[in-house]
Amino acid sequence: MGFLIDSFRHSLALILSLDAEVVRTVWTSLYTSTTAILLAAVIGVPSGTLLGLGRFAGRRAALTLLNTLMALPTVVVGLVLFGFFSRQGPLGSWGLLFTPMAMIAGQTVLAAPIVANYTVAAVAGADPRIMNTALTLGATRSRAIWQLLLETRFGIVAAIVAGFGRVIAEVGVAMMLGGNIRGYTRTMTTAIALETSKGEFSFGLALGVVLLSVALFVNLFLNLLQQR
Amino acid sequence: MKSILSVRNLEHRRGGRFTLAVDRLDFLGERVYYLVGANGAGKSTLLSLLALLQPPDRGQILFDGTAVDGVAQRQKLRRQITLVEQAPFLFDATVYQNLAFGLRLREVRGELQRHRIEKALQALGLTEFASRRARALSGGESQRVALARALVLRPRVLLLDEPTDGLDRESKPLFESCLAELPGRGVTVIIATHDAEQPRRLPGEVLGLEAGRLTKTGATGPATTNIAMENA
Repeated sequence: MGFLIDSFRHSLALILSLDAEVVRTVWTSLYTSTTAILLAAVIGVPSGTLLGLGRFAGRRAALTLLNTLMALPTVVVGLVLFGFFSRQGPLGSWGLLFTPMAMIAGQTVLAAPIVANYTVAAVAGADPRIMNTALTLGATRSRAIWQLLLETRFGIVAAIVAGFGRVIAEVGVAMMLGGNIRGYTRTMTTAIALETSKGEFSFGLALGVVLLSVALFVNLFLNLLQQR
Repeated sequence: MKSILSVRNLEHRRGGRFTLAVDRLDFLGERVYYLVGANGAGKSTLLSLLALLQPPDRGQILFDGTAVDGVAQRQKLRRQITLVEQAPFLFDATVYQNLAFGLRLREVRGELQRHRIEKALQALGLTEFASRRARALSGGESQRVALARALVLRPRVLLLDEPTDGLDRESKPLFESCLAELPGRGVTVIIATHDAEQPRRLPGEVLGLEAGRLTKTGATGPATTNIAMENA
């Protein structure tokens, strides 16, 4: 028990003293995850809206595929993109492997289906009167869809938050595509795995506390938004 | 007098079994019309088609004598036809912002926008509601806001689906006196209702609907009967 308490004390000291290594790792995590979720939102919200509202051939198949993609193991995404970005791969000449860009690409692939799927649920479950009301007040169809998204904004924000939760906490993509390079591609999750295996439990715990705090902060933000 | 809205050989299926079928129907300008009939007779479906929210499966709807065809034309003409649904949806915003929605789409902004909104709110006794959240209103208040939101746009055709359903006893006279003024301002009002008393309080042409077919026509009060109609 003493070990745990001592480690926790030490980890808090690392956080409060803004230890350079901790700060750099947290920054890499936040930077890659935030960029990835923004890209995933740009892809996921429109495609989720299209699938939620559209009635076209192949829609059911697309929804099934989307559900499957939601459960993609992170290491599989990492593995496939590793094949693309590796020196012999089709995108090898871009030199992306073991860079934050590669991590962002992988995390975008992970988060986009989640954002799209939650958007489908939000849009398809929205009050059917929203579109007709906007249309009868003179809106074009695209303006009516925009109004629908505004009315379902909590569902859309929840979709983005769920995607963010997935990418900030994942290890597989960051490890395989980022390579866990200190000060460059080392994220909170990869650092926790590495430092703990090296016996630096306090360091891992410090990052774990920050990771939990980020999750808490994001959820508090979501709650606050829903109460407004 | 010229018809503002007409229906020709209309057929529209809903839910597989129900079919709305109207061969010929003309709505003259600046009149009040009632669509009466039991629940499920097709009143709301007909209103939705007249509001140009969806094209009919077969047949035509004519606006000012011109057949409505294509998405772009429907969208353009919807600026002159406004539907207030039975349980109207108010956007998650203030009452004022709800009224401003359609005006902004028509590029009515600034002082003119404010003036028109204030006038519409005043007409329905809603002046003090302007800054209230629309979602916090009662059913009757929401109904009045929805009517104000439609009136502020000054449509040529106003379609109302069971407009007095959610209204309390005190609000009905105000609501109906507001409607009574509309034909004089160039608005054609088409009301779907099962309130048998309403046509007596506010005179107009009465059209009966039964299982998707027009059944009867007649006038209440001083309005002139001048409607061409053939049953399917």
